[in-house]
This record gives sequence, C-alpha cells and structure tokens, in this order.
Amino acid sequence: MSLDHTDPSAAAPLVPLHCLRAAEAGPPTLTELMTGTPVWWVRRHADVRQVLTDPRLNRVDLFAPDAPAITAYPNILDDPDTILNIDGADHQRLRRTVQRAFTPRAIERWRPWVASVVDDLVDSLAGAEQPVELVAAFTRPLPVVVISRLMGLDGLDLKRLSHWSDHALSASAYTPQAVQEAMLDFGMFGAQLMAERRRNPGEDLVSSLVKAADEDGEVTELQIIKLIIGLVVAGHETTMTTLGNGLVFLLTEARQAWQELAGDEQRAATVAEQLLRSVPLGDSTVSPGLLRRAVADVEIGGVLIPAGAVVAADSFAANHDPEVYPGDWRQGLLAPPSTPHLTFGAGPHHCLGAWLARMELELALHRLARRLPELRLAVPVEDIDWRRGLVTRSPQTLPVTW
Amino acid sequence: MSAEEVVVSVDQARCVGTGLCAATAPADLELGPDGRARPRRARTEALTEVTEAAELCPMEAIAVHLAATGEQLAPNW
Repeated sequence: MSLDHTDPSAAAPLVPLHCLRAAEAGPPTLTELMTGTPVWWVRRHADVRQVLTDPRLNRVDLFAPDAPAITAYPNILDDPDTILNIDGADHQRLRRTVQRAFTPRAIERWRPWVASVVDDLVDSLAGAEQPVELVAAFTRPLPVVVISRLMGLDGLDLKRLSHWSDHALSASAYTPQAVQEAMLDFGMFGAQLMAERRRNPGEDLVSSLVKAADEDGEVTELQIIKLIIGLVVAGHETTMTTLGNGLVFLLTEARQAWQELAGDEQRAATVAEQLLRSVPLGDSTVSPGLLRRAVADVEIGGVLIPAGAVVAADSFAANHDPEVYPGDWRQGLLAPPSTPHLTFGAGPHHCLGAWLARMELELALHRLARRLPELRLAVPVEDIDWRRGLVTRSPQTLPVTW
Repeated sequence: MSAEEVVVSVDQARCVGTGLCAATAPADLELGPDGRARPRRARTEALTEVTEAAELCPMEAIAVHLAATGEQLAPNW
C-alpha cells in the first residue's frame, strides 16, 4: 500500500476535473511519454478518430519485443492478454463473446431494474442523517450493484473489489510489485469464476461469455479470465468516476442544469452525454492520450507518422476541438452534442459498456435531482478529498446536504 | 426480383468504425478509407449475416430493409 512520493502531483492541490483545460487542437506534434519514449500527440477530433479506427495503428505492437517503454506504472491496461491489447481477428473473436450483452437493445432491458436500484439508493440516502457521504451512499454502490448483478457476483466482498480495482488502474499509488500481487489474486478470482460457471452455467454474463468462448474454441483461457476481471473493473470504476465528477460540477457550478435534469429523463440523458464529452476521467499525467503504435507509415492530419512510432490520441482535446464543438460547453448542456464525442473511443476498441454507462448516468442524475433538488456540497470545493495516483481521478468522499 | 432481397444501410454519422459488422458479414459490409462502415452492394440475400451485423453494432448504425416493401427487418426492437 506504499505511496510513491516521487509523484510530484501527490501533494499538490487538485482542481475539479471539470476545471481542467483541454489542450488546443492542432496538427500532431512530437512530445515524450514519462518513460522518455517519443510520442506523436494527436488532438484534433478528426485526427483522433482516425488514430482509433485506422488498422495501421494498433495496440498489440505496443507490447511487441521491439516496442519502446510506454509506462513506468504497469497495470491491467498493459496486460497483453487483456481485450484492450489484442487486435484483428483474435480481438473480434473475443469481443463477440460479450458484444451481444451490450447492444443498446440488450442494455435497455435492464432499465426498469437499474431505475429501481437508483431509487432504493436515493430513498435510503434521503432518509439518512445529514451530511450524507455521496460516494459511499450512491456513486460507488450503483455501478457495483449493477455489474455484480449482470455478472452474477452476488456476495462479492466489496473491500476486495475496491482493492483489486484500485490496483488494476494504479498509476503512482502502488508499487509495481503490489500491483502485480493484486492482479495475480484478481486473476485467481477470475479463473475460479470461469471454472464455476463452466460447470454450473446460469443466466449471467460470465456464463454466456464462457459458453461462447468454448464454442468458438480459439479463445484462450487467459483471454477469458482477463476479460472477466476487466469487465468487473471497467464495469464500475469509470461510471463511478464520471458520476462523481459530474456531481462535483453540477452541485457547484450548474445549479440551473441540476433543476433542469430533474424535469425529465430525456433531458437528463442529454446532460449526461454532454458531461461524458466535456469532463475528462483523469489528469492525463500517465499519458497524453490513448496509445497506439503505427505498423506502417501513416499520414495523420497532414503529418507523416513513421512505422514503429507511438501515437497518443487525446480524446479530451478532441472533445473540445472548436472546429467540431464551438462555444463554451457549460452553456450547451441541454442540447445533444452535434457530433459523437470520443470519450468511449472509436474503432475496434470502442467501449463495450458505453450504453450501460449512459443509462446508469442518466437514471442516477435524473432521479437524484428529482428527489433532492436542493442538493449541495457540504464542504468547499477546494476541500474535496480526491482519489490520487490512479489512471482516473474522482472524489474520495463527497459530503452533501440539502 | 427475389422476395428475400434486402437492402443494408449504414448511418455514417453514428458509425464509430468498430468493424464488427465487416467481420460478421464480410460480403456485404466493409470499412471505408474514412474508418466508417459502408455497404458493399446495393442488395443482398444474406439476411442472416446482415441481421446479425445490425444487431451486433454497438451504435445501432446499421439497418436492414426488405427491398420489395421497405419494411425494416433489423434491428427489430
């Protein structure tokens, strides 16, 4: 659990995520990763989209024997067996084992149930003594309960889950050895789950993905295990982060929007979409963007990127590219984005859980605002305690009153 | 004209280029140079493949219509 004090950001005061300024769009420029490896930093919307969709740029070659060092903090995102780091036909094969569970139609079937989970949490916190701590009472349990139900993880120890999840997305918070140990333990959990659902399949996502992978025959055991634990982490961490950071913004600077999204679910969906576009998930301290490696010479935004080069697609900058999204995002919360944003990425690795995340966010914001229109932070925004040293950043605690 | 002929269309504004459709129905869908999916022919009889492609699309960007009547066959929900 040792904190790495070489991280200069560890002690510095942090601004809320919605106050971070995106880099200015412009043609790709050469900069360096924290390992010293040169990286082409891509920021325009069209360029970022190209990097994420062009097959001449991939993930798997970032981990090839000749690849330069891309991170000082290895975590689950650098595991070569995880779906994020597999490309081409192998990737399609693995993704198809779960894709059907995440289509808009499949996710929509969960809406009444997710709404009831939100209502239960809102009822319970609204009846509690004030101030209420919103991370423990709302932003963390909602996505955890939802992904646990989808995957059939009833009875999962939430402390263990948090431990695995924090290590899985660790930047400077834990030592590489601590991360490795936690991932080994997490992998054992995934392996046991796979074996159990293979023996005794149910209606859950793990059972269906194990069945699909076994039928396919070419998906490896390690790929299945890493997909299972990846879904557990991705299924709650990012949604919790987006919800927490969205609430910091709404409850401090956007009181009007808070009233508006209480009005109807469609309006809440629009606000959620704009928050997804505008507020980043983290500080970009580990990397200036989503990394890819060029497997051939490729021209991006008028610049020739040579084969073998590392490229960082900065979706935060792209989501604020004035050519695509003119004007101040704070003034446009009630109109849907004119162009699809890139928070969920694009191309083969486009976020599997995008529709689930959207649904959880819109239901959470709408129903919390409807029930507690006077909700506000109980501490000054400067005093928010942040979860530090991870790839994502969100409030550790969020005391609120009404 | 065969009654089973269908028309596949792609909403280019929604497409995020996952390529799942091109892998599912390679005879009928491909990724263009702009990274967006597009139909490969005006009509097709491969209803099973294109229906699966439409239902797998994470963005609901693909639609399948009956050529004769225009009735939407997929996604059907």
